[in-house]
Amino acid sequence: MTAQESPVTEQAQAPVDTHATSGTGRHVRFRVSRFKQGDQRPHLQDYDVEIAPATTVLDALTAIRRDQDPTLLLRHSCFHASCGTCGMRVNDKEALACVTEVSDLDCDTVKVEPIANQRLVSDLVTDMIDFYDRFRAIGRPLLRQSEAFPDSEVAPGVEEHRRYESCIECGLCLSACPIVASDGRYLGPAALAAAQRTVAEPRGGDTFSVLRLTDDAQAAWRCHLSFECSEACPSNVDPAGAIMFIRRKLAGQRVNSIFGRRS
Amino acid sequence: MTVREDRTSPRRRGVYGWVDPRGRRLGHWAFILNRLTGLGILLYLGLHLVVLSMLATGPNAWDNFVSLALTPVFLAMDVVLIFGLLLHGLNGIRVTLVGFGLVVDRQKALFVSLMVIGAIVLVVASLHIFEVG
Amino acid sequence: MDRQPSAPKVVIIGGGGTGGALAHDLTQRGVRVTLVERGEITSGTTGRHHGLLHCGARYAVKDRESAVECIEENTILRRIAPGSFELNDGLFVAVTDAEADYEKVFFESCQAAGIPVRRVDRAEALRLEPRLNPELRCAVQVPDGTMDAMRMPLRFFATAKRNGAEIRPFNEVVGLTMTDAASPRAVTGVSVKDLTSGRTYEIGADLVVNAGGPWAGKVASMAGVDVPIQPSPGILVAVRGRYCNMVVNRLHASGDGDIVVPQRELSVIGTSSWVTDDPDHLTVPSDHVEMMFREGSMMIPSIRGAEVRATWSAARPLIGERGASTGRELSRTFKCFDHAADDGVEGFVTISGGKATTLRAMAEATADVVCRKLGVDRPCMTREVVLLPHTEYYA
Repeated sequence: MTAQESPVTEQAQAPVDTHATSGTGRHVRFRVSRFKQGDQRPHLQDYDVEIAPATTVLDALTAIRRDQDPTLLLRHSCFHASCGTCGMRVNDKEALACVTEVSDLDCDTVKVEPIANQRLVSDLVTDMIDFYDRFRAIGRPLLRQSEAFPDSEVAPGVEEHRRYESCIECGLCLSACPIVASDGRYLGPAALAAAQRTVAEPRGGDTFSVLRLTDDAQAAWRCHLSFECSEACPSNVDPAGAIMFIRRKLAGQRVNSIFGRRS
Repeated sequence: MTVREDRTSPRRRGVYGWVDPRGRRLGHWAFILNRLTGLGILLYLGLHLVVLSMLATGPNAWDNFVSLALTPVFLAMDVVLIFGLLLHGLNGIRVTLVGFGLVVDRQKALFVSLMVIGAIVLVVASLHIFEVG
Repeated sequence: MDRQPSAPKVVIIGGGGTGGALAHDLTQRGVRVTLVERGEITSGTTGRHHGLLHCGARYAVKDRESAVECIEENTILRRIAPGSFELNDGLFVAVTDAEADYEKVFFESCQAAGIPVRRVDRAEALRLEPRLNPELRCAVQVPDGTMDAMRMPLRFFATAKRNGAEIRPFNEVVGLTMTDAASPRAVTGVSVKDLTSGRTYEIGADLVVNAGGPWAGKVASMAGVDVPIQPSPGILVAVRGRYCNMVVNRLHASGDGDIVVPQRELSVIGTSSWVTDDPDHLTVPSDHVEMMFREGSMMIPSIRGAEVRATWSAARPLIGERGASTGRELSRTFKCFDHAADDGVEGFVTISGGKATTLRAMAEATADVVCRKLGVDRPCMTREVVLLPHTEYYA
């Protein structure tokens, strides 16, 4: 770092780039998983990046791509935990790179790998095709009733307050799930959570057939309660809770059908 | 529920995704310990049946076994067995309850409480076991 | 849909909303399309904006053309992309007497632009949005909405792909293939590097469209052409918590920090404006972050104490002469440059400017130019064709 005449004055005049990736003096090593089509397997490659207090893993990776290695590939879009494209495994934990501040990781070496249990296209880019396949039978409702300000008036011309469902399709839950890891046929937490939302708030959907689809050895009953999906979810979906909700409903239906016949 | 066949090399972590402890939290520990204790109990069952079959060979074999069973090493293994049974059984209660959608919100607290009960029972049991020896 | 081998071939450079909407429009008209994008789809400016489904009210007073564009496209998008928006309308809120005075010209300008508006008094405004500044004077209800900045444009890509367009993310254009300088210059294709493997290859085309957004200037220079794009970044702050259901705007002439857009369980405060020459290097200035909270809390006081989820910047691709100091003076309309007419280079068209809400209109204007040049006599269908769900992109 070059010495400056009066660094304090310099700082006071110019606004600080809170997400800076150079000139801060705080160096962090990034070990990034690299893979190109034709390689046998991924390998880790080291890069050095300087960080500021609010610099995110995504900032660091895009800086590496811009300044050091334009062959590094990664997915990103919204920069604010809404699109779900920048899901990765950072130091062995599932995370969204855009809202993971490097300083929060509190270490000098950050390992970055793609999310697990998805096909690898290149470097940190996975093919989300299997993720979306799982939604196909269940459906993916995009909008729900807004729980915010339930007592507020609704403006004329607006039917009711709606908001997007919490799930941002990041795939972190599937990456963290030990059953998805060992069994490719498991429907998985994301689709099951989407199913639960359809049951909890039908919106004209067919809850009967959705429930029937979840009532399968490879669907709701395949979960073994590691709860890693809910821990990994950056968006408060709580897929594990959703799966248990479905199970209670299915079990209740069984019990009812037994007693129903009696009466 | 069929998912598309893997067209390229699948990157499923396999059973490694079960046992890799890095980045994992309480629920996952309960999951993996349930599996390990389950395997342990299965192994014990096999050994138990083998031991019982010794009864058929007469009082000498049985007496030899009993003196082996009273050695400190063997008693210590009994404690391990009880640990496994308690963990598997008590967590099993949690899995049954939570797995049918009951007490889901407090499932972590439930696990901790059950393990505390298990720990107390284990301590009492260990004391008894070693008194016998 | 005819897909004859003799149908003209167009390569679109840039996988943002404009590129996607254009791929959709052209495939609807029977053109063969390949779209190349160096990163993930919408990874440029498109994915990063606050998600406002614009009604145009903000431009009604100063930029009538933009306002009319916006409200028309707002209506069309609701029709062709149903189920993709939080449609709770919006409020323009006057918190000072000066702003209350401005309300009259604002209201009338909106009406003149065809934007359905309704006056809302203080008491009602607070019943509609309890977290609003109780000092507010009055408000105006407008047909704003929230879009998912990535998933809504992705519907265009999904539909285009289903209809035969080739969408190639992680494929970077490294050069344009052109005829010799002696004959009339023409772009005949693109040289592309497949970044997933490192392999380079060429795609021949009857016409190449530059939809590079803030990078359109860099792409155009590959053809030796100068396009006056001025990347103009602005900051955005997302906080945890849904502070409003309606979009909340400040009732004044355009300024910084004057909008709060609800999205799922977040609220996004925006935005500011400066200019840069390098859209790949956007800073997040600390004083702008502070300004968002300061201005945002004028409309919603409790947002002051909200927990930050993310702070980031996005670069608007504004058109105009270079030399603007903040970016706000530049026109917000879009422009399609036919480089044969402007610069003597055939087979190359640039589209830039615009807003997220007007992506379909930008595509229509560009597709009209492209089809005229290629002799394709098919009308635009995109006002009526309902788009596939975004999940179909991954089929």
